[in-house]
Amino acid sequence: MRDVMITGIGSTAFAKHEGRSIESLAVEAGNAAILRSGLERHEIGAVYFGNFVAGPLLGQEVLAGIVADELGIGLVPCTKVEGACASGGIAFRHAVLAVQTGQCDAALVIGAEKMTHASGAAVTSALNCAMDNRSDGPSGLTFPGLFGLTWRVHAAKYGTTRDDVSAVVIKNKANGLKNPLAQMGAVLTNDIIRQSAPIADPLQLYDCCPVSDGAAALVIVAADRAKSGADVPIRVRAAIQTRGPARLAGNEDLVSYPATRRAAQLAYEAAGMSAKNIDLAEIHDCFSMAEVVHSEDLGLVPRGMGAKWAVEGHTHVGGRIPINASGGLLSKGHPIGATGIGQLYEVVTQLRGTHNNQVKNASVGMAQNVGGAGVAVTVSILERSDA
Amino acid sequence: MTNTPSIAITVLRCVVCGTLDSGPRDLCPKCFGALAPEKVSGDGTLMSWTMIRRPPAAFRAEGTYAVALVKLDAGCQITGRLANPDEQATPGKRVTATGHKDTVTIFTAE
Repeated sequence: MRDVMITGIGSTAFAKHEGRSIESLAVEAGNAAILRSGLERHEIGAVYFGNFVAGPLLGQEVLAGIVADELGIGLVPCTKVEGACASGGIAFRHAVLAVQTGQCDAALVIGAEKMTHASGAAVTSALNCAMDNRSDGPSGLTFPGLFGLTWRVHAAKYGTTRDDVSAVVIKNKANGLKNPLAQMGAVLTNDIIRQSAPIADPLQLYDCCPVSDGAAALVIVAADRAKSGADVPIRVRAAIQTRGPARLAGNEDLVSYPATRRAAQLAYEAAGMSAKNIDLAEIHDCFSMAEVVHSEDLGLVPRGMGAKWAVEGHTHVGGRIPINASGGLLSKGHPIGATGIGQLYEVVTQLRGTHNNQVKNASVGMAQNVGGAGVAVTVSILERSDA
Repeated sequence: MTNTPSIAITVLRCVVCGTLDSGPRDLCPKCFGALAPEKVSGDGTLMSWTMIRRPPAAFRAEGTYAVALVKLDAGCQITGRLANPDEQATPGKRVTATGHKDTVTIFTAE
């Protein structure tokens, strides 16, 4: 299969975009990515669009075609992709496959979501579409609840404390202050976090990502077609997607996700790398405890140490394996369909050496995007093209 | 255990290979044979629980409630409710089924 590069990238801020439509956000990000790629619009052979809840929250579907039309893309296949919170990562993988296999020489991937106009209960109900609503849904489980369940097991098994987990929150919120695209950077303390509202015990308010609006986009191009004069191309070394148990009762172990373990293994194999090669990672920290277990499943942090490594500074910028230098979902925000593409945007910026919270000498980066209760996972590995 | 009498609960058993599953589902997850309902003991082990304080719209009227994952002694896991959540209810505690709310089993911890 052909070598594939990411060239143009674009992103809106992840924020509360009052009065803006999802189409407008997607067009802003998509247009920026096209302009930075050096390609002409007619050279884009396919569009993949990540979105999750525009149906229930906006009453709008077929966003891929609507947005491509406004962007002046040719009469090419435009596909909306849904995989709950992994919608963006999955859209990216499809674009990579289309170019790798020669279906087209360049593809545009866009992710977008508009959520902040809706009530909290409406958002929670829309997000619960990502649950298996024959089994877990009727129990009244929520996604914060899933990580409340996970937390209790992690605490019992590894002795992880409230303050250990707070170190993840404090790190990501501080990282967000350095990211101009981030919605909610903050300087936090153990006390402030401990006093925040309980959401799904032991999970509290600051353990949860905000509700966000935003869009991000990438242009994927065959390596031999990457334009000189455009931004430094970043090579796609792996773009893997797996599935895991759809329901809680299908998990043997609440502190480890089979879909992430499998995706990581396949991604390392595809790239001919191991966890030791990864210089930085953007991990799906929809909740603090999610970063803890995912970082362990990816093999980046020893089992049981996901929170303690944040306490010891190993996952900070300048540490052994910087995780969520962007601020992560906790701080940057989580406009669902855009999230996975936003993570790749951050990794590309780091590998180009132009990030506002730069990891020194970064040449290989990873992004992990998780949908539902681990029912869909993508793991991607990117590398500087001159590495 | 508690003063509330324990009850049997209905799960699914594969008519071909005997695998148990809390369902609902149409095919045996192991051999893809047909499944038939079967009553089993409501006794089991608490895997974990959480207190839902921000319920989805459909559950708002209930206020807060505890969701639990239980491993039944019969041999499958089930998502249900925990009637007596407190910090003593750590993973590994014994629980038994003591009731239902609609289709959802309510467990009580020792």
